[in-house]
Amino acid sequence: MEQKIVTVGYGDVKKVEIGGTLPLAFVGGPCAIENRDHALFMAESIAEICEKLDIPWIYKSCYDKDCRSSPKSFHGVGIDEGLKILSEVRETFKVPVVSDFSDASWAAATGEVCDMVQVPAYLCRQTSILRAAAATGRPILLKKGQFMSPWNMKNSCRKLEAFGNDQIILADRGTFMGYNMLVNDMTCFPIMRYTGYPVCYDATHSIQLPTSMGNISGGQREFIPYLVRSAVANGINLLFMETHDNPSKALSDANTVLDIKYLENVLYQAKKVHEMRLELFNELGPDNVHPTIE
Amino acid sequence: MRVEEVMIPIGSFPVVTKKTILKEALTEMGEANLGLVCIINEKQELLGLITDGDLRRKLLKVQKPFSALFIDDALIHAKQNPITCRPGDNLKEVVQLMGEKQIWDLPVVEEENKLVGLLHLHPAVKKVLEG
Repeated sequence: MEQKIVTVGYGDVKKVEIGGTLPLAFVGGPCAIENRDHALFMAESIAEICEKLDIPWIYKSCYDKDCRSSPKSFHGVGIDEGLKILSEVRETFKVPVVSDFSDASWAAATGEVCDMVQVPAYLCRQTSILRAAAATGRPILLKKGQFMSPWNMKNSCRKLEAFGNDQIILADRGTFMGYNMLVNDMTCFPIMRYTGYPVCYDATHSIQLPTSMGNISGGQREFIPYLVRSAVANGINLLFMETHDNPSKALSDANTVLDIKYLENVLYQAKKVHEMRLELFNELGPDNVHPTIE
Repeated sequence: MRVEEVMIPIGSFPVVTKKTILKEALTEMGEANLGLVCIINEKQELLGLITDGDLRRKLLKVQKPFSALFIDDALIHAKQNPITCRPGDNLKEVVQLMGEKQIWDLPVVEEENKLVGLLHLHPAVKKVLEG
């Protein structure tokens, strides 16, 4: 099936093309925007690594974390301050930026600044959220809900299409296996790719143990490289990882963000596996072993 | 006797579009009490059809969960380029063809494969017998 190419970036930022047999792209940053200086510092640090590895990338950070387990947890800097900071990151480093939004009324402002808008996994089938995402006219990073089957994500795609936006990237961030536990079903990538849209793997949320620590989530970061290699080999177009210079002090997802000191290592492996996969495709053609539609 | 004299006109038998999922196509079939559904594009051109028999064979073959099968586009499970007839075709000859091919329902198309009706075997045979 022909796969759509989604281009992220407007104006004078470095546009990132995602899909097909294009090079693997990366989207990452700290889970939450903590403050201006930290956002700029993180962007500079990631930019340096991505330039060194020649990986196209998008800066991701959120202004409002509306799905925190505890009312005491850091909720975010808010939409006005957050978008101002993202705009400065964008202008300074000429990098596309993305943030999620948890309330339909925030979508328009988010889309005005951000090159891509993200639909949170918990909200991936909410019609009002999808309508608002589509109306921004920006590409949409649509996370698969942990409670959703990969094939049922087609319903959310159809909603976005009906609302006039078919610039969609589908992301897996793990699937609930009982309580407080996620697993990654690697068949979700070929299944979601069958929608015709590019697919993304969110490695750092996939190793999350949701709300496993009473009122916050835990995570098993040691599995990140294993899962990244597997997902890239399974044909993802975009790799998503949240990263932080001091994870234990991170204001959001402290137990899952990748320490930036490991980012180059993981991205290097991802790039190599992606290139190897493309070489195999050039040699053998697309997967055609027991195709399901016969 | 021409096919158009006894064919079921479009609008009176199950027809879905190429983006219809299999579950919705099956619902259409059930409501119409006919063992077939035709799939058309925006120009009303016939893209394919699914029959009860196709489904029976599919159910024995497919290994994925029903929830995944149901959300597939009906078209990917359809018989594409099916046998068709024209409104002006001789009814007796078409009934003979249906007998040879063991077909219960035959889509009726005009130029450029535009779907205009469906020939169901029972009324067609009845008409032929009545002369």
